[in-house]
Amino acid sequence: MNRAAYHYSFDHEHLLSIEGLSPLDITHILDLADRYAEATRAGIRPDPVLKGKVVVNLFFENSTRTMSSFEIAARRLGADVISMPVAASSVKKGETLIDTAMTLNAMKPDALIVRHSASGGPKLLSRKVDCAVINAGDGTHQHPTQGLLDTLTIRRTKGRIEGLKVVICGDIAHSRVARSTTQALHLMGAEVHLCAPRTLLPSGTETWGAASATTDFDKALKGADIVMMLRLQLERMDGAFLPSRREYFSYFGLTKDRLALAKPDATVMHPGPMNRGIEIESAIADGEQSVITEQVEMGVAVREAVLHLLAGGPA
Amino acid sequence: MSLSIYNARLLDPASGLDETGAILIDRGKIKEIANGQTEPHADATNTIDAAGLCLAPGLIDLRVKTGEPGIEQKETLATASRSAVAGGITSFVVMPDTRPVIDDMALVRFVADTARANASARIYPAGALTTGLDGNAMAEIGLMAQSGAVLFTNGDMPVANASILKRTMAYAASLGASIMSRPDERSLSGSGVMNAGELAGRMGLPGIPVEAEWIGAMRDTALAEATGCTLILDQVSTPRTVAIAMEARKRGAKVFTTAAAHSFFFNELDVGDYLTYCKVNPPFRDEETRLGLIDALKNGLIDAVVSAHDPQPPEEKRLPFGEAAFGAAGLETVLPAMLSLVHDGPLSLLEALAPITCRPADMLGLPQGRLAKNAPADVILFDPGKPWLCEREHLRSRSTNSPFDGRRLQGRVLRTFVGGEEVFAHASLA
Repeated sequence: MNRAAYHYSFDHEHLLSIEGLSPLDITHILDLADRYAEATRAGIRPDPVLKGKVVVNLFFENSTRTMSSFEIAARRLGADVISMPVAASSVKKGETLIDTAMTLNAMKPDALIVRHSASGGPKLLSRKVDCAVINAGDGTHQHPTQGLLDTLTIRRTKGRIEGLKVVICGDIAHSRVARSTTQALHLMGAEVHLCAPRTLLPSGTETWGAASATTDFDKALKGADIVMMLRLQLERMDGAFLPSRREYFSYFGLTKDRLALAKPDATVMHPGPMNRGIEIESAIADGEQSVITEQVEMGVAVREAVLHLLAGGPA
Repeated sequence: MSLSIYNARLLDPASGLDETGAILIDRGKIKEIANGQTEPHADATNTIDAAGLCLAPGLIDLRVKTGEPGIEQKETLATASRSAVAGGITSFVVMPDTRPVIDDMALVRFVADTARANASARIYPAGALTTGLDGNAMAEIGLMAQSGAVLFTNGDMPVANASILKRTMAYAASLGASIMSRPDERSLSGSGVMNAGELAGRMGLPGIPVEAEWIGAMRDTALAEATGCTLILDQVSTPRTVAIAMEARKRGAKVFTTAAAHSFFFNELDVGDYLTYCKVNPPFRDEETRLGLIDALKNGLIDAVVSAHDPQPPEEKRLPFGEAAFGAAGLETVLPAMLSLVHDGPLSLLEALAPITCRPADMLGLPQGRLAKNAPADVILFDPGKPWLCEREHLRSRSTNSPFDGRRLQGRVLRTFVGGEEVFAHASLA
C-alpha cells in the first residue's frame, strides 16, 4: 500500500458533481462498488451498513430507471427508503425546492437523492439540509453516479482505464452524462473524444477534460476502445437542432460498418434509454460488443458504494 | 439659512475642477464655489468642515426599477430613495415595468406625485414605449412627456418587431422624446441565464451570447439613424456594442450608451456555484470583455453608468439558478464600484464621476449633476478611501439581493444633500 492510499479517507459530505473528486476518491468508490457487484453476483447479502438509516429519493423529474437503481441499492444495504416523485406533488402547489428540502430535512433523513430539471438544483438544496445529498441528475449539468458507473463498467471490461480511447457521441450539449463521464474518465487517465453535430457540441469541452471535440464520427472512431452513444431527445431532431432523424442516423448513427472503424474488440455503451434505429442499430445494442446491461448492473453497485460512503460510514 | 461646506476636495467633472475649496449653499442652490478656500464662508449660518473628504455633485442614475405600483414587496419609491441617497444618488429614473405598467399620463403622474410626497431623492418616471410593454402598440408618448416622463423604454423586454420600433422612434423623434432600448435579440438570448461560453457549458446552463446584444444594437442604431430619434442603448455589456454605437454616432445618429456599474466589477466566474445574486441581464461577461468595457469607459465612449437597480425578494432568488429572477440591488454600490476603478488605477476620480453625474444630466437636460453657480444644491460628501464590508442586511433597499454581498469595498458616502437639504448622514457622523 502506498503512502497516499494509507492515509486516504473519503471525506466528501455530498456527491454533487464529478468535479471535486480526486482519482483516489474515484478508485475508492469503484473498488467498493466492485466488491458489491461481486457480492450480488455471488448471491451474498452485503452487510447492512445502512440499517436504521432513512434514504429519501426526491425526484423532481420523472425517472424510473435511476430512481429504482438507487432504491435497490439503498435497500440492499438495509436502509429504509422513501421514494417521492415530487414532479406530481407539492411542487405543483407552488412550494419551492428549498421549502421542500427544508420540510424533508426536518424529518432527519440520512441521505437525500435528488434529481432536478434545473442545473445546480441539488447544490442549492445541499446548502439547506444537514444530510448527505446525492445528485441523481441536475438539468444539463451533472449525473455523477452515471459517470462513475460508466467508469466502473469500462474498468471491469478492459481491466484498466488509463490510456483507453473513448468516443462519446450524441447530444453532448444537453447531456449531463457526457459531462460527468468525460470528467471521470479523464481523471482516471482515459483519452475522451466527443462527437456531435455542431449544433449540439458546446465550446470549451477541453475544460471538462475532453481530448477533442469533433463533428466527424468516422474519424473519431478510428482506434477507439470504447464507443458510448448518448440518447438524442426526439424533439431536437425536428428541425431545431438537426434537420431530421434519418440525416442524424446517416452521420452519427452507430452501425455495424461504422463500428468496424473502431478497434476489433471495441466495447459499445449507452446510458439508456436508447432510441433504437436512431442513434444505435439494434443489432449492435444487443450484440456481443455491447455492455449496456452491465452498465445498469454496475449502476446499482456504484450507488451502493456511494450510499455506503456518504451515509454508512467508512468502508 | 445658508450652508458652507469648506476645506473639501471639490470634484466637478463638468468643468474639470479638482481642487480644495468651499461651496456655499443657499435656498436650495449652489450660490458660490470658492476654489482654494479652506475656511467657511463668513456669512453662512451653518458650516461643515469637510477636511479629507470629496465634495461632488449628487449622482444621477438613469435606470432604477422599483415595485411601485403593484409589486411593493420588492421595493417602493420611498425605500428605493432611501437606498439611493445612502449611495449618493440624488436623482434617478424609474422604469415603467411595474403593475400596472406606466403607460399613460395618470400613472406617470402617480409615480411623480408619490415620489414627491415620500422620497427625498428626485425621481423621474420613464414611460412605457408600448402599451403594457407588449411591443405591439405605441403608448401615448406625447401625453406622458407632458406629464413628466423623461424618457421612454420598453424596459427589460425590447420591442421585438422592428417595424413597430421604427414607427415609434419616428414618432418620438417628432416630439423630441428620447428612447432607451436594451439591445437584445431575444430569439438568440431568450432561454439564456448567464454569459454564453465555456463556463455556461460546463455548468449546464443556457447562455446569453454576445451576438444577441450586437444584433440588437445594430438594429436599434440603424433605426435611430433612419428616424433621427435620440436613442440610449441601455446597459451595454461588451466593448463591441459600444463600437456599434460609436459608428452610428459618427454617421450622425443621436445614439448614447449606458453600462451597469456592476458590469465593470464582476465577471462570469463570480456566478461561482450558481449564485443567483449574480444573475443579471445583461449577464456578467468574461474577463476580457469586462476589461474591454473598462477601456471604453476610460476612453469616454460610454455616456452614462447606471445602477441597474432591480431588487428581487428572496422568493425570486432562492431558486435554482435557471429559475431565479434576473436583477440585482445596486443603488448603494454604484459609487464604490466606480471608485474601485480609481483605486485599481485605470480611471481618475473625475473620469469615474462624469458618467454618473454631468453626462446623464446632459442626456436628460437636467440642471443638476454639476457644481455650478445656481445649479440645484444636490451634492455629496464622500470619503473615497474608506473601507467597508458590504453586507446585504445593512443595505437599505427593501430587497437586498446584491452581488456585492460579502465584498470588501472602498469609498463611502458620508453626507447627501438634495436641494440643499441633508437627506442622508452616515451613522459614523452621529
